[in-house]
Amino acid sequence: MWYKLTIPLVMCFAMGLVAFVHEFVPHPWAAAFREEMTTWFRIMGGFAMFIGLYALLHLHVTRIRRQQAGWAYSAFVFLGAVLTIGAGVFEEIRAAVRDVPEGAFSPFDWLYDYVQVPCQATIFSILAFFMASAAFRTFRARNVGAALLLVSAVVVMFGRVPISEEVGRMLGAWDTFPRAADWLMEYPNMAVKRAIFLGISLGAISQSLRVLFGIERSYLGGGS
Amino acid sequence: MGAPPTQAALRRLAVTRRIIYLLVAVAVAVPSFCDLGCEFKPSPWVEKIFKKVESLKPGSPILLSFDFDPAAMEELYPMGLALLRHCFQNDLHPILMTHWPGGVGISKQIIEKAAKERDKLPGRDYVFLAFKPGYSNLVLNMGESLQGAFSRDFYNQPTAGMPALEGVRSLKDISLVVGLAAGATTEMWIAYGRDRFGFDLGAGCTAVITPDLYPFLNSGQLIGVLGGLRGAADYEKLVKRADRATKGMQAQSLTHVLIILLILGANAHYLWRRTRPNEKG
Amino acid sequence: MAAPQETTSPTRRTAELVVLVVLFFAFLAASAAKGRPVGAPDDWWLARLGVVVAAGLTLIMYSFLYRDNPLFKIGENLFVGVALGYGVILTWRQSLRPEIIDPLFVDPPHIHAFWMELARRSAPIVLGILLLTRLSRRASWLSRYSYTIMVGWGAGLGIPVTIHTYVLQQLKPSLGLISKALGDTPAGQQADLWSAALPILGDVIILAGIVSVLFYFFFSVEHKGAGSFVSQLGIWFLMVAFGASFGNTVMGRVSLLIGRMRFLLHDWLGLGP
Repeated sequence: MWYKLTIPLVMCFAMGLVAFVHEFVPHPWAAAFREEMTTWFRIMGGFAMFIGLYALLHLHVTRIRRQQAGWAYSAFVFLGAVLTIGAGVFEEIRAAVRDVPEGAFSPFDWLYDYVQVPCQATIFSILAFFMASAAFRTFRARNVGAALLLVSAVVVMFGRVPISEEVGRMLGAWDTFPRAADWLMEYPNMAVKRAIFLGISLGAISQSLRVLFGIERSYLGGGS
Repeated sequence: MGAPPTQAALRRLAVTRRIIYLLVAVAVAVPSFCDLGCEFKPSPWVEKIFKKVESLKPGSPILLSFDFDPAAMEELYPMGLALLRHCFQNDLHPILMTHWPGGVGISKQIIEKAAKERDKLPGRDYVFLAFKPGYSNLVLNMGESLQGAFSRDFYNQPTAGMPALEGVRSLKDISLVVGLAAGATTEMWIAYGRDRFGFDLGAGCTAVITPDLYPFLNSGQLIGVLGGLRGAADYEKLVKRADRATKGMQAQSLTHVLIILLILGANAHYLWRRTRPNEKG
Repeated sequence: MAAPQETTSPTRRTAELVVLVVLFFAFLAASAAKGRPVGAPDDWWLARLGVVVAAGLTLIMYSFLYRDNPLFKIGENLFVGVALGYGVILTWRQSLRPEIIDPLFVDPPHIHAFWMELARRSAPIVLGILLLTRLSRRASWLSRYSYTIMVGWGAGLGIPVTIHTYVLQQLKPSLGLISKALGDTPAGQQADLWSAALPILGDVIILAGIVSVLFYFFFSVEHKGAGSFVSQLGIWFLMVAFGASFGNTVMGRVSLLIGRMRFLLHDWLGLGP
């Protein structure tokens, strides 16, 4: 139906055209329009958060209802969410009812500092162990390409730590290894990253044009 | 596909894996108890950011965007703290914000710690804007009106008329922005901020994404980069205040040497097996 | 097919349970060993409790290194819940309250101001509510109006920004070799051959790297003859860059581990300088 598909596609094209053209219009109205639109998106962004909230809660409710494998753990998701939201609401009410002195205990901050921070930091730090183990078990110089990768990795790993400067001093030039690592980063690595950026950028421009002209429609979601 | 591994092979694999984990843990823990005494010289890219901050007059605003969450805090927390200490040392007026909601708590910890050391007050000496959704749209908004984008700071004080924001109406009034990134926010600051509003942009980032920023260093779109814990340690050295990043370098050195030895040892064994006459290719 | 797993015998599981109980009591003893710091405020125990809880969660997360276990799963799901709750409260405090509630219901001094603010905000509020209809199967088409505005704006704005920042600004320094070859050097600068050659060599490497890598990813043309050599050169450049990325990734992950170890040894156990 025209109001479910045609109008949204026309709106997308019109919005994109306006966004593109206003970049080249130096009139103050263009700046005012941009400020108004960015304010709109700031407000809309606040609502978008609830879509993620609903999606996550729906996943865990379904898991509990259907008693899928590991369903009991989903209860801890709700426990954590209820505790944190409850702490936040308590603080809002407390601030509205009376003056809260500086340095007063904040249960909301406590949960962030002593539950979220250690869990999130630790989960990612586990990767250090996995990297060391994987490097030992699978990193082999089977061909020229693999050998280049290995040498480059070793040079960068060694050159970026202070012990390389101590070793360099013993060999008569303290900055040999750091300079080798810097050279690798600033020349071959930089060239590759630039080529990848150029390729990605051209792809992004083509994808943006596809979206504007209605060829790419996956963002519209399901249905007609 | 070959035959599935036997239980004995799986147990050997598990033991090898756990021995490596133990070696890594020891390599990280040992430097906490003894000083390896490794000196290091700051990188030129870090010095460039330091010199730019040094060149700002007392009372100048500087925008710091701490776009990371607890997953990256071990690298970027010391970096942010060293930067803020430098700002407060030179009586600059840092304006702190973040594009990541999970980063608000850490940013608050860092700025309150640095401010307490020098008796700096929010609103008077610094501004903590915290978080707003919008990403690139927020940067565009700030480029037109900072007070319009953030009508209140984190402590619910109105930003209009705030002493720490005197003379600052938008990003066009700020000469230096430093963004600490655990994701793609540096590229966003370059595209929607620096290239549009003309301020100098320095970057701090996790070691993982440091290689991706070199094209921008080469093109001059970034004035410098603080890469990972080493970048934080370099900056601590420049501000003459050794803290957790500098202490972390000892463990970093030892662990890197361990991993290099593991890789080289495994490859030496692999090459030796390949050269044996009865081994198949 | 799932990867084969190491099986554990009942004896081993019993031994693991005994070790777990011993470790639990050792954890409690280690946590209690660090007493009240000198000059600490009256509510120091709240922070100390927090450190103990954080240390416990850290060690539970690290138990995954031994094997996936129920304690790890509990910690993981608890973290997801807390992070979710944190995001909700923060969105309310930093976005919805200052953008909608305060300007409409708290700040306006009189009813006229309220209507002015409502008129200004009605369109984005309605579009924001329409976004939420994405969750309904029957009404999800309404959310398209919001999405098309955001996506269209982003796509339209992104084209000139991408061309300027990622293409033109990046191509300029890449062609530095050509500008140097055409004589674009600072007036009066007499460089000796070596100090003049090194930067040019660097520029040659950069140009060779960019061209060969771009060619490698260009699959519309068969890579044979001279093309095969250029493509192979591109692969070698890619390998060097991936090695550099791997080295930096190791550095990053080890840094995270160093931070957690510092927390456990220093903040929790009070060891080390």
